[in-house]
Amino acid sequence: MAGSGEVHLRDDAILRVRDLVVEFPAKKKQVVHAVSGISFDIQQGETLGIVGESGCGKTTTGRAIMQLEKATGGSIELRDNDLTKSSGDQLRNLRRRMQMIFQDPVSSLNPSRRVRDIVREGLEIWGAPTGDFTEDRIAEVMDAVGLDADGVGERRPHEFSGGQCQRICIARALVMEPEVLILDEPVSALDVSVQAQILNLLEQLKQSFGLTMVFISHDLAVVKNISDRVMVMYLGKVCEVAEPDALYSGPKHPYSRALLASIPGHHLDLPPASELISGELPSPLDPPSGCRFRTRCPLATERCATEEPELRKVAVGQFVACHHAE
Amino acid sequence: MRILRLILVFFVVTFFTFFLLDNSPGDPAAARAGLNATPEAIEQIREEMGLNRPFLTRYFDWLGGAVQLDFGDSNVVTGFTSWRLIQNALPKTIELMVLAEVLAIGISVPLAVASARRPGSWIDRVSSGGAFGLLALPAFVLGIYLSFFFGVKLGWFPTIVEDLPSIFRNPIGNLHQMFLPSLTLALNLVAVYLRLLRSDMIDTLQEDYVMLAQARGMSERRIMWRHVLRPSSLNLTTAIGLNIAALIGGAFIIEVLFAINGIGRLTIISVFLEDYSTVAAIVALLTVAYVAANFAVDILYSILDPRIRHDNT
Amino acid sequence: MTTPDEKPQKRSFGVIFWLSAGWIAALVFVALFEELLPIRDPEALGIRTREVAKFEGPGFNAFFGGDGQGRDMFARVLTGIRPALILSLVVTVLASIIGTIVGATAGYLRGTVDGAIAILIDMALAFPGLVLLIAVRASFGNSLTVFIILFTLSGIPSYARIVRGASLSLAEREFVDAAVAMGASRTRVLFKELIPNLVLPVLSFAFLGFALVILTEGALAFIGLSMDRLTWGQLIAEGTNDIADHGHVALIPATTMFLTILAFNLVGDGIRKLWSPREVATERKLITLGDAADDQTGGEALSIRNLATVLHTPDGDVRAVDDVSLSVMPGEALGVVGESGSGKTMILRSIVGAFALSSVTRSGTVNVGGIDMLRSDAETVRSVLGNQIGMVSQNPLNALNPVRRIETQIIEPMVVHGGLTKSAARQRALELLESVGIPAPEQRLREYPHQLSGGMRQRITIAIALANEPDLLLADEPTTALDVTVQDQILRLLSEQQRARQMAMLLVTHDLAVVKGFTDRVAIVYAGEVVEIGPTSEIFANPRHQYTLALMRSMPNLDLPSHSELQTIEGTPPSLIDLPDGCRFAARCPAAQPTCEQTNPSPVTDGEHTYRCHFPAETGVALSGAVS
Repeated sequence: MAGSGEVHLRDDAILRVRDLVVEFPAKKKQVVHAVSGISFDIQQGETLGIVGESGCGKTTTGRAIMQLEKATGGSIELRDNDLTKSSGDQLRNLRRRMQMIFQDPVSSLNPSRRVRDIVREGLEIWGAPTGDFTEDRIAEVMDAVGLDADGVGERRPHEFSGGQCQRICIARALVMEPEVLILDEPVSALDVSVQAQILNLLEQLKQSFGLTMVFISHDLAVVKNISDRVMVMYLGKVCEVAEPDALYSGPKHPYSRALLASIPGHHLDLPPASELISGELPSPLDPPSGCRFRTRCPLATERCATEEPELRKVAVGQFVACHHAE
Repeated sequence: MRILRLILVFFVVTFFTFFLLDNSPGDPAAARAGLNATPEAIEQIREEMGLNRPFLTRYFDWLGGAVQLDFGDSNVVTGFTSWRLIQNALPKTIELMVLAEVLAIGISVPLAVASARRPGSWIDRVSSGGAFGLLALPAFVLGIYLSFFFGVKLGWFPTIVEDLPSIFRNPIGNLHQMFLPSLTLALNLVAVYLRLLRSDMIDTLQEDYVMLAQARGMSERRIMWRHVLRPSSLNLTTAIGLNIAALIGGAFIIEVLFAINGIGRLTIISVFLEDYSTVAAIVALLTVAYVAANFAVDILYSILDPRIRHDNT
Repeated sequence: MTTPDEKPQKRSFGVIFWLSAGWIAALVFVALFEELLPIRDPEALGIRTREVAKFEGPGFNAFFGGDGQGRDMFARVLTGIRPALILSLVVTVLASIIGTIVGATAGYLRGTVDGAIAILIDMALAFPGLVLLIAVRASFGNSLTVFIILFTLSGIPSYARIVRGASLSLAEREFVDAAVAMGASRTRVLFKELIPNLVLPVLSFAFLGFALVILTEGALAFIGLSMDRLTWGQLIAEGTNDIADHGHVALIPATTMFLTILAFNLVGDGIRKLWSPREVATERKLITLGDAADDQTGGEALSIRNLATVLHTPDGDVRAVDDVSLSVMPGEALGVVGESGSGKTMILRSIVGAFALSSVTRSGTVNVGGIDMLRSDAETVRSVLGNQIGMVSQNPLNALNPVRRIETQIIEPMVVHGGLTKSAARQRALELLESVGIPAPEQRLREYPHQLSGGMRQRITIAIALANEPDLLLADEPTTALDVTVQDQILRLLSEQQRARQMAMLLVTHDLAVVKGFTDRVAIVYAGEVVEIGPTSEIFANPRHQYTLALMRSMPNLDLPSHSELQTIEGTPPSLIDLPDGCRFAARCPAAQPTCEQTNPSPVTDGEHTYRCHFPAETGVALSGAVS
């Protein structure tokens, strides 16, 4: 890869994605190469941050894990059950063990239903007993996300602000006791002050519920704050996988360096971004051969055009897919 | 893809019509033979007309003839082919529809621009209210009102179209007679177009590029006509295409109301007199007209919207 | 983004809606109890009964007069109600239910099922149904049942089309994905998530469809294809022959039918407004209140004094900008920072006087290059806008007109305001594109916006803004919609151009980090007010307003280790429609005292630094957790 490779995979992961490929048909028999052979895994209680710019395939990756987009190739294993090989009731059963939070909290809630019914829905689908037990569970979860079940339960989504809607979405997911929670840009639509509330809430929930999360975002600062491990993506490939403090103090992949150097007002020891990246994002219909970043990379050589770099270990817990990174 | 779909429309509609006409209670052979014919005579005519052959054979035969504009003889008006009857009627219907469409666009576009520019102003209230009222007025009711007022009370226009002179030789005489029918047909369209364009223009007015044009000091007139109208006219174009069917239906009513000897009256007379070869010919013709008109709308659409144009190339 | 969170809006239906509903109720009443009403036999000939004369005019004897055979028109019109309502009701119920199921299935399942249904709908809708009805009606007779079947068949496609469109857009919404993620089956998604949201649209469309059935039946009856019972269409058709001398025979049933259709349309429209309440029926006005401040200009490119902007919306008056004063010198860049709904964008809009569709009242003074933008005549204002101000907006996808070529858009201001010929403007356009870093400018001029990337489009918007060498550049969140590497390029470009051309710049953003490297001074906006303004370095080193401080601390920071706890600002900003009397931040402020809730603090000036706070933060506290 920018890059393929599996050296960064671990033995004791609860979710393991191997060589995931997602392609969409486009006009004139072309194919959008949204995700092209990426691998990663997550351990129990870990938060994996996936970061990259638009078109890098991060959202598609999240949706593919839930099988909301069909994977063209590769495997997605939740504790040894491959979702790509499941269908029907088996798939529905696997899906409920993971849950997803979306970018637009308002659009994520059915406008015609009451908050309590929205939160209850998952239990209802899976035939939880009605009555006190269920109601207690709903109250407990809503309390955990900072909502007063009695105060808000009978109201409808349009009566709430974006931040509150996102809390409702989180409650709806938590009630299912998911083994993995996938969050796709969960704070991008929110103002800074509200964003901080949600990020703190997620940290709290991680402690109290032992949540395992995949946190997808374009915002490098947010990802650094919440993640235990960060994966940088570019044009459907993985560039770098590292622990956040290591990645942010010493990015190794040329694209990671460009990305960090572009953040306004950063204090990192990096040259100006204009020296690290040039040109425009190539079309995902016809991605460059070899390393996909080579068309914009200051280090690119002929080798990058012919040979795709595989992920390799450059330091403890830090993996880079680049021929030239040190 | 789109062309294939339109061709499919043609086959389905003609097949369906042919099938229904074939199973109608009336017997074309009996109709041709006349009132006093013996069963044997009718049977012989039936044989001559090829009515005893299998249905599909007759359909494709008919289709083969239709391509060469040969729809067979009218079995009511002796000595006339169906195509000849249509030829006489067609120009008036086409004129009616074209005039109506031109009037409708000519009235609705300026009104929509004026209304969208000042939503809530008197001109907007009057035109929006008027459009809402017009939507509730069936063509035949509107026609009655208009001919009662302009024809009977004021006497400005004839209420019946008689001996219509050619529009090319005597345009004034022609338009004088055709004005009320065209206006009646147009006003229903005006209501649809006006409401649609007004609301699309109001949406467009909230786009950033319009705000930026204001911020660049462009005059309001320039903004409305150069910046707002074209991006707002895409739905209108679709509506024009969708309304072609309604326009044809409306033209039928108008022809009855104003006694215009066009395709509409011909259809109705043919149905009542069980002249099925003429009915089938008309349906085929209208389908072709419909397909062609929609094709034209598609082309117009891609001219208006470069995004579509580039998608197709 | 400038109005506060939507609240549930209760809208009343209005008199006309209830009048229409009343009319419909009256019709239903007559249809139900026709036999019990004291009316004459509709078929009784006047020549026999001697009650109604031939062509008797409307009057006390016969309310609607008599027809050509002396039959009572009132009785005849009332008799027409029942078939009209039965036919419409049965057809509407059948067609809407079948159409909804077909349309929702197509819209949700997509793929081949949808493709096939879409083609069928297209074909059915496309073809002149009336022609087919005429052509086939002869085959089936004219009983009520035949009419119901024919009308239902021709009605289904319209409902299916509406519902399919609505479901396609609903199925895009993330709550459908969320249900799937919870393991909901397809049937459940269809019936629990989609169809409940389609009820109101279908209901409102059903009223229109109801009217359409009455109308179509009338049309058929009018051309002689009537049902086997007395209907309004027949009455109208009978009456037209005598219209010249006895107008009432046709006009009365015609008007009854018109009013009925109108009533159904009005009720349908009233229901539609429940789910898409976007109509703004108030006239848009731009009002200026008060006199200009006695402004001695000290050479400012822009000077704003006590600006207040009120948007008059259906929900109330939104005080989007309140008592704002600020100025920018030539060559200076001022950052305006605030959260969504704080009024920061409205400050820019107030300068240029461009407000989408609401009526707006502005007061105070906005001075650009010595010209009063609020009180000068339209011509002068347009000339200042065209020649002295350049503007860049937030969303590059929206900033360019999608149907005009880049060339047309870029030369327009030069031709309209700069007085250049088209060819001279084109030459200059090429230079401009080059200067904003666009490769192959010749080719770009011929292209349309959709052929360019977001970054390219924003460069072009900047080029257009620079076209007439403005003195003041207004940039409204110019990089919010862009990726971080592109943002960096665009910010640098703006800054370079601003310095090279010695322009004054107003850079509006929600991102504190953006203003840091690119502005000389910063204004922090909260709930319509500038709560703090001063030199950028000073604000970052010594924020005094409690909101500024809290904002800085709530931003995730690259300099802090992973998993650092962020300081939050609890609650939400106040509604700009209903602002508190005291400090607008008091309800969320950690340092608030009772005074804060009672009086709104006045601006306090400390050197170049001005803030509105009763209990300002100590100087030098910014750092623990602030953006660096």
